[in-house]
Amino acid sequence: MNGHAILYTGVTLAFWSTILIVGICYTIFDLGFRFDVAWFLTETSPFMWANLGIGLAISLSVVGAAWGIYITGSSIIGGGVKAPRIKTKNLVRYFPYIACILNFSGTTPETIGARNYQAGYSMFGAGLTVGFSNLFCGICVGIVGSGAALADAQNASLFVKILIVEIFGSAIGLFGVIVAILQTSKVKMGD
Amino acid sequence: MADMKVPGRGCTAALAVLLTFSALGRCAEQVPLIMWSSEGSATTSPSPPAAGHVVSGDQLESYLRAALSSSPHNVLLFMQERLSVDDFTMYGGVFGNKQDSSFTNLEAALQSSTTSLVLPAVDSLATGEVTGLLQEQLDTSPLYMDPETLAQLRLNASVATLLVFRLPYGTGVDMMSTKDVLSGNDDVIGQVMNIMNSQSVPYTAVYTALSASRTIEDVPLSLHSVGRSLLQSRQKISPPVEFQEKGSTCILLWAENLNVELLRSGKWERHDLAPMTFGESSRVKLSGSFCNASHSRLVLNYENVLNFRSFKLIFAMSQRHYKVSARRWFTMDQVVLEYDGQKATFNASRYVYAPAEYSYRCESVSSFRYAQLFPHSDKDRANQWRLSFDDFQIQGFNVTGQDFSYASDCASFFTPGIWMGLFTSLLMVLILTYGLHMILQLRTMDRFDDPKGPAISVPQTE
Repeated sequence: MNGHAILYTGVTLAFWSTILIVGICYTIFDLGFRFDVAWFLTETSPFMWANLGIGLAISLSVVGAAWGIYITGSSIIGGGVKAPRIKTKNLVRYFPYIACILNFSGTTPETIGARNYQAGYSMFGAGLTVGFSNLFCGICVGIVGSGAALADAQNASLFVKILIVEIFGSAIGLFGVIVAILQTSKVKMGD
Repeated sequence: MADMKVPGRGCTAALAVLLTFSALGRCAEQVPLIMWSSEGSATTSPSPPAAGHVVSGDQLESYLRAALSSSPHNVLLFMQERLSVDDFTMYGGVFGNKQDSSFTNLEAALQSSTTSLVLPAVDSLATGEVTGLLQEQLDTSPLYMDPETLAQLRLNASVATLLVFRLPYGTGVDMMSTKDVLSGNDDVIGQVMNIMNSQSVPYTAVYTALSASRTIEDVPLSLHSVGRSLLQSRQKISPPVEFQEKGSTCILLWAENLNVELLRSGKWERHDLAPMTFGESSRVKLSGSFCNASHSRLVLNYENVLNFRSFKLIFAMSQRHYKVSARRWFTMDQVVLEYDGQKATFNASRYVYAPAEYSYRCESVSSFRYAQLFPHSDKDRANQWRLSFDDFQIQGFNVTGQDFSYASDCASFFTPGIWMGLFTSLLMVLILTYGLHMILQLRTMDRFDDPKGPAISVPQTE
């Protein structure tokens, strides 16, 4: 096994053994009632979830875009040695994201209200949706773009045909944005 | 020793004096008392006490009476400021170094006397009163003397005299000065003995002290025993408030403070109900309380709190089975203040809950600081009140015996903040791991590497 595999198995082992030992301790001391998922979900602040959603949306979209460019770019560099004309046509990026503003005051579930908890969790979900869909969209567009660049280097008329396939790839990201808008449409802001 | 009649009133008077002394709360010290006389037969000497026995005032009086009934009436009392048996051990030359002894004259006197009594442990309160005891038994007042004045005194065998020699005890820091002082006292004893022998007057001598020079606390004097104990537990803990229904305890409540504050004309007026509720001075009535299988209600009735004639503090609790967790939980639903016909209600069920078999305990149950009590509504009178209960523990169901069950504390091991931090950190660590994995996988292109070929040369000049 190489070093990476050892590291990952070690970390996973430590994580699961910690969970196991903590669980056994809770069971032995009859403190199982302290394991309370509802308490965790109501006591943690909705702000945290919303912020995580926003942060993940932006960061994962950026990762997707970067990865796509990396894939396309390496092909353009390779193909551009023999066919320099391809270099400007293929840098299509797709970088949508969604962010909305959550504003409320309150410290107890009654004053925060179920609505705002839902807002926090919805924004977390929406952020994940947008982030991951943009991530894979970016990778997809990158791979297709790389193929387009190399085909374009061979035969200039092929570029537009392959661009159509690239549009399908971009649609993935668009679908993600639409779903996220649907998720956050029910989010009511304020008290 | 000649017989002597003992005055009857000496006993009660001595007892009264000793009782007043003990009422002052002096701690028990043990002082040795040595008595010897120049005449008398060995058969009439009293038996010494058992080892380790501390002679009390009554016993000392009986010893003295017995000794003086058969001995001469010239009593020499050497009253040292302080003395302990340890002084004999330290300065008496008992470790084979007889020449360093500070009590040579005392030893010689004891050996040359026919009757002697050594009481190694007498209650210091009693030895302090020896002067008075002897005064009563001899029916004469004491004369405070030193050897020079004794030499000028003509003593008579038929007249009872009580001669008191006050001897100091060194207060120096080092041992040598104490030794010197004791040696000096011993010289005084020797001189007195010589004078008495030269006058050939029969005498009885008593050597003792007012208090002990070293006290060994073998009885725990403070509240905590010799074993280990927490600093916090030194205070007296009063038992919890119990409400009993049909003979068995149903509700238990304990708190260190039960502070209620009312906003009156712009100022908060505060009152602590705990002294009236717990302990010996509790004046709380529990009428109105009840408990059944599903609901409990503890009503604490007070009078004259914050200028209200009647004041009630009510804890309303309920328990039921919850399907999702498949166990019974109890919650404290409301804390109600009823005062002079008015009512202030706080909701408490959000935070005050515990499994039904356990009690709930929290360091601070209050309505304004990390609040667990919330006014029932915005218009409720509870908005004018502030409650703060410190070290609060309550149990409303499943009470066995008179003690609380296991206390489910309000402070959990992981707080919400810790959980949020752990979750976010875990997420970022995962992202970091992923990124690191990718970066560590990068390899440079080595397709055209040729280790055997010529090295690349980069010319510096064009």
